[in-house]
Amino acid sequence: MDKTAMLHRGKILILATETCAYPGADSVGQSHSSYPSNTFILRVRAPVLFPEQFYMDCFRKGISGIIIMSCGEECPYEGAYKALAKRIDRVYQLMKAAALDIRRLRLTAICTVCNRAFLKEINQMNELIDEIGVPINEEAEL
Amino acid sequence: MKDKKEDQKHKENQEYREDKKVGVYICYCGGNISDHVDVERVREYVENLPEVAVARTNMFMCSDPGQQLIMDDLKNGTVERVVVASCAPSLHETTFRSAISRAGINPYIYEHANIREQVSWVHHGDQATEKAIKLISMASAKAEQLSPLEPIRVNAKKHATVIGGGVAGLRAAKDMADCGIEVALIEKSQFLGGNLAPLDKIAPTGESAKELLSTLALQVLCHPSITIYAGSVVDSFEGYVGNFTLGVKQVEPLPSKAADSDITAEADISDIQKTNETDKYKKGDYIPFSGVFAVDDADFSNRSDSQNLSVSSNWKSHVIETGVIVIATGFKSYTPNIGEYGYKKIKEVITLPELIKSMADSLNSGRLSSQDSFTMQKGSACSGKVRGLEKFLEIDGRKIRSMAMIHCVGSRQTPGIHQENDSGQLNEYCSRTCCTATLNAANIIRERYPSTRIYDFFRDIRTYGRGQEEIYEKASHNQVIFFRFEADEPPEIIESRESQSGKNFESNSQLNNFPICVKAKDVLTFGEEIEAPVDLVVLATGIEPNDVSDLVQKMKLPVGADRFLLEVHPKLRPVELPVSGIFLAGTCQAPMDIGESCNAAGAAAVKAAAMLAKGYVELDPFVAQINLELCNGCGACVESCLSDGALRIVDIKADGELIKRAEVTPPLCLGCGACVGVCSENAIDIAGWTLRQYEAMVDRIVAENILAVIN
Repeated sequence: MDKTAMLHRGKILILATETCAYPGADSVGQSHSSYPSNTFILRVRAPVLFPEQFYMDCFRKGISGIIIMSCGEECPYEGAYKALAKRIDRVYQLMKAAALDIRRLRLTAICTVCNRAFLKEINQMNELIDEIGVPINEEAEL
Repeated sequence: MKDKKEDQKHKENQEYREDKKVGVYICYCGGNISDHVDVERVREYVENLPEVAVARTNMFMCSDPGQQLIMDDLKNGTVERVVVASCAPSLHETTFRSAISRAGINPYIYEHANIREQVSWVHHGDQATEKAIKLISMASAKAEQLSPLEPIRVNAKKHATVIGGGVAGLRAAKDMADCGIEVALIEKSQFLGGNLAPLDKIAPTGESAKELLSTLALQVLCHPSITIYAGSVVDSFEGYVGNFTLGVKQVEPLPSKAADSDITAEADISDIQKTNETDKYKKGDYIPFSGVFAVDDADFSNRSDSQNLSVSSNWKSHVIETGVIVIATGFKSYTPNIGEYGYKKIKEVITLPELIKSMADSLNSGRLSSQDSFTMQKGSACSGKVRGLEKFLEIDGRKIRSMAMIHCVGSRQTPGIHQENDSGQLNEYCSRTCCTATLNAANIIRERYPSTRIYDFFRDIRTYGRGQEEIYEKASHNQVIFFRFEADEPPEIIESRESQSGKNFESNSQLNNFPICVKAKDVLTFGEEIEAPVDLVVLATGIEPNDVSDLVQKMKLPVGADRFLLEVHPKLRPVELPVSGIFLAGTCQAPMDIGESCNAAGAAAVKAAAMLAKGYVELDPFVAQINLELCNGCGACVESCLSDGALRIVDIKADGELIKRAEVTPPLCLGCGACVGVCSENAIDIAGWTLRQYEAMVDRIVAENILAVIN
């Protein structure tokens, strides 16, 4: 993809846990595996911190896709992953109500050495937003 | 209410924009970054961001001159917030926080932009430069909102508690006591030693387990700073790092082996009989297969802290005030399902621990010389008798002309192939110790009883670690015959009257003389079907974590999918749990051999001792903070809190009236943010990781032209 196309490609927000997925992203870098530059990683202690509205605001602002890269069942905060999963269910309901494609938000688990899984998630989300575009047309409804 | 929140946000924005000056320091990383990112172009761009006072570059920002740049700007007041754009924060976040501290400034006014691992090593050309600008801009937007934070300081009792009296628990207790810390060691059985107790010679060094355990246990028993609560369990738990309170309850005396939850009925009877024999033991006695007896008459009556002594339900209980806790609850040996490889249905099928115990029992009764016994895990319920003859191993009066040893029983279980346990779980991990233990046993048998033939059925041989590969080689030299099987085609155990013709090994007449035939498809010979006639089948059973669900529930301990306890991070924070002040030692965390268990215990002891050394503990300040102006006291945060007692609703006085508001107990707060996501008033945040900071970063991500948008 050329630079112009890259600049206009939808942006992907990645919420990466500081104990699992963020070091996992570093591991991908250490292996010098390339991935598209429209990905922006936020280091988080636990994604359970974000309320439903945060996700909706991100889409309203123009984020095309969000990947929550959690620690999954191995979350160091006992009970946090279950609470997060329930919250994401509620975000999906809000997205449906706002006619947003729920595939734009994905909850996954990435460990510190999950290089392939990390790249796969990014590539799949990019394929999706290439297919369905940025959520600008839906902004008024959010 | 919305207006109130908007006003507050506007007020804070103004305050930040007027007062905060961000310094951005961009690293070339000797070409690691600058080979792909136009660093000077990045600097020119970010120095025009409205909140940025200065942007500088350096070949190595982590070098002394690089750090000096930051310190000078802080000291002369050029900057008040710092962003360093360099390698991953795991490498140098501490370095730069430390430099800021040396400049006399609060280290928490710092944010990191990861432009090596997440930019220059994964993107190239203009895209890398654009991405670096974005990441630094995001970090700067967050840094603008950072406030100085103070570590949470809590007084800490110079006292540690170890739960579990196996080798890891003993090692941790001894190491901490040697650092001048008072230690309480809680062991549920009456014996010290755990799974080390039933071993004899420890592979691969050949050390005597009895001598090792006796030495270590006696050092612990005699140490003036260690108090042992044998035959006791943790009954209650509360508090936080530096100030934990543990209730300890004495339990009905059982030997250590009988304390395992999965012992058979047969073993129960044997152990209860043995319990009555404990009356004749005295503290410090080494009891084969049980460990070092750790109870004396003075227990629970002559302790220095006996003022807290109480008695309930005929058993005594005690309260321990402690600063840190080391969990060393160990493992248990896998018990095969009934019928798994014929276990408990065919009497000639036993586990390796059962074989070892039979050997050791015979040794204790004087029927074998010491060189006949060998190393393995404990947990046997076998009552078989073993006797050394000139050529053949003998068990239960039966001459063992040939035997099969089958690896990976209860380890590396595969969904869809292996049978789940009653809780629907599989042991998908490798137990790591059983290959070496099995081959060590095979070597001893082959050397002592050269006429006893051994067929070894394995999936993979994993004799990892120093000196262990040699045991594998030695087994080959000792003419142990290896067959490899696939997980979906494990060996079949067939009583000989049911078996087919004895091709490949023995003539039919020979086969008919053996009670069992082991049938397998050998991968080493490209799937050739073989039948091995044997007198005995030994299952190399794996390691499972002990059931510590009670502790898990009380202490909120994280448990992995494999049911072992889960450290925060194997490289960044090994042996630590997210609950500050609680550490892991040994096989409660994963399958380990004795050396590895001791290493983990030493690590836990050092971390615990370092934590208690100053008499107080400083914790990261990243905990929940309440904005009392916005809080309406609804209590949603308390309901969502994952740490008991970290949040509560209290009455406070405002304008002469009592109102309800949330209150944080900082040492108990995990800083996970579960409370933040449920607060409808945005009244609660995690210090240093606030929602507004994240929102500001997202704003920078979506801005096509950051300078245009901001200006």
